[in-house]
Amino acid sequence: MPERSVRKVSGTAALPYDRVVLWLEGIGCQRHGKAVLDGVTFGVPSGELVVIEGSPASGKSTLLEVAATIRLPERGAVWFAGRNTTTLQQASLPFVRRNLGYYVADALLVEEDTAVDNVMAALAVRGEALKAAKAGALDSLALVRAADLADRAVASLSSGQKRMVALARTLAGPPPLVVADEPAALLGDEARAVVVAALAAARDLGSAVLVATADSALANALVAAGGRRIHLVDGRMVGAPAVELVPEPDYHEASREERPARLVSLDGDDQGSALEAPLSKGPR
Amino acid sequence: MNAAWIARNVRRQVEAHPKMVVSTSVAFCLLALVAGGARLGARTVERWGAFVGQNVHLIVYFSGNVDEEQALGLRDILRRTPAVAQVAVIEPAQALARLTAAAATLRADAPVVDTLEPAYFPRSLEVSLAPAADLAQRAQDLAKRLRNVPGVSEVDAMTTGLARLSVWVKVGRTLGLVVLVALGLVALLVLVAVFLRGREAMARRAAVLVQLGDTEAAIRLPSALWTASAALVGGGMGACVLALAWRPLLGRLERSLGIASMLPSSPLAPAEIAAGLLLLVTAGLAMGYFATPLAATHDHA
Repeated sequence: MPERSVRKVSGTAALPYDRVVLWLEGIGCQRHGKAVLDGVTFGVPSGELVVIEGSPASGKSTLLEVAATIRLPERGAVWFAGRNTTTLQQASLPFVRRNLGYYVADALLVEEDTAVDNVMAALAVRGEALKAAKAGALDSLALVRAADLADRAVASLSSGQKRMVALARTLAGPPPLVVADEPAALLGDEARAVVVAALAAARDLGSAVLVATADSALANALVAAGGRRIHLVDGRMVGAPAVELVPEPDYHEASREERPARLVSLDGDDQGSALEAPLSKGPR
Repeated sequence: MNAAWIARNVRRQVEAHPKMVVSTSVAFCLLALVAGGARLGARTVERWGAFVGQNVHLIVYFSGNVDEEQALGLRDILRRTPAVAQVAVIEPAQALARLTAAAATLRADAPVVDTLEPAYFPRSLEVSLAPAADLAQRAQDLAKRLRNVPGVSEVDAMTTGLARLSVWVKVGRTLGLVVLVALGLVALLVLVAVFLRGREAMARRAAVLVQLGDTEAAIRLPSALWTASAALVGGGMGACVLALAWRPLLGRLERSLGIASMLPSSPLAPAEIAAGLLLLVTAGLAMGYFATPLAATHDHA
């Protein structure tokens, strides 16, 4: 096992960097009787940016909804920091969701609150003290070049500005897992560059970043920033190396908390990380 | 549970929806007025009943040949009767003095009263019966028996007045109840309208927090807390209005009925106010908690 570096997530729990944060295993989804996703398997370790690229209606958004526990797959399992979220009770989901940032272009914001209030909500829900949450929210707004919007009511912002506030909320912390669906949709070139830089920054701070886009230019920019590309065609992964989780030899002897499992490609190219890691439950 | 975050959310919701908070307070104020008014009204009616029970129900007029000793003899017999609460002999001079006093109150023509003499008034007995539901019937029965007593020339059972008063009390109670129920319904309708109006904004805020991973209790609590606070403020306002307005209103009503000077007013006791406020705050807490629309975003079991 490589030496673990540890980052405080909520002030009460720690997430080791060197483990897989998200592991999707044989995901299958249907919509109106038609398969939207079929046997999708991949993982996103912390400190890695994965770009799912595919044409519209290829299943990208559904895949991200599954990853963000918004949608339950018909088949397969979603492992988030060592827990299978598909078997969790409804009451347990908040403790998973507060550890991930989920972005969609039409993300819900509280219109009557200020931008900084909306962003700090993500941190406060994780148990951050108000002062720290506000500082984190301002940092996140600065990351997406929206610091000047901090004290403005969301209702008074343009749709582009609202998207940047929503992105700042997604990246606030940053959380162990960032899931972003078309993060640069309807944004200009300058804002697009900011989005790429912000996602890369979250990755550099240790988050596992999963992005879906139909925009090849954005996908190329993210890959250029160090991202790993996965193509999705008609709900199936194309061209990506098949991977499996290989346990360490002492797996069965170790306690649950200590069980290491390593993500490797089938062709022997070691991808890096162990699977199981404690979730940040936060004080709530 | 992050208390500071909950408190901040409460403040944000109050700032974002001031009309909703004010309307909720007004509705709870109305509920407090209805509940407190019903309590005080019931108590007043009860007191009026006791007042009626303490009054004269029968007047026994003696014929001219009955002397004071005979009158006192009948008084003593009546005092031993279980249904009778009080008996008093009224001498002719006393009767004239009462008439003169009543005429002065009614601003009647004084010279007419001045021409009267005590001898014009018969000696009489004033009989008060013990309070009972069938007071009018009892008075009638006793009057019937007294008419057969030698020396008694006339018995005024005052049954018409008693029966009329009983009917008015019943009508008053029914009308009061109808008004209170109507006001209570209005207050509840205001509350329902307030929450329906604010439902969309509450649902949106709740949906955001669900997606961010807030727990159901933490999402619902701010609404519950501000609604409970509004209930406390509204209930307190209602209690203050009752405390300030009840005495003058009741006094005016009782004066118009001619019983003002004989009845003490009875405001709500501190324990009653505390119990009422506790009830309203609990109702507010429950209403705010369960009114927050919370849609599940995941089809997990």
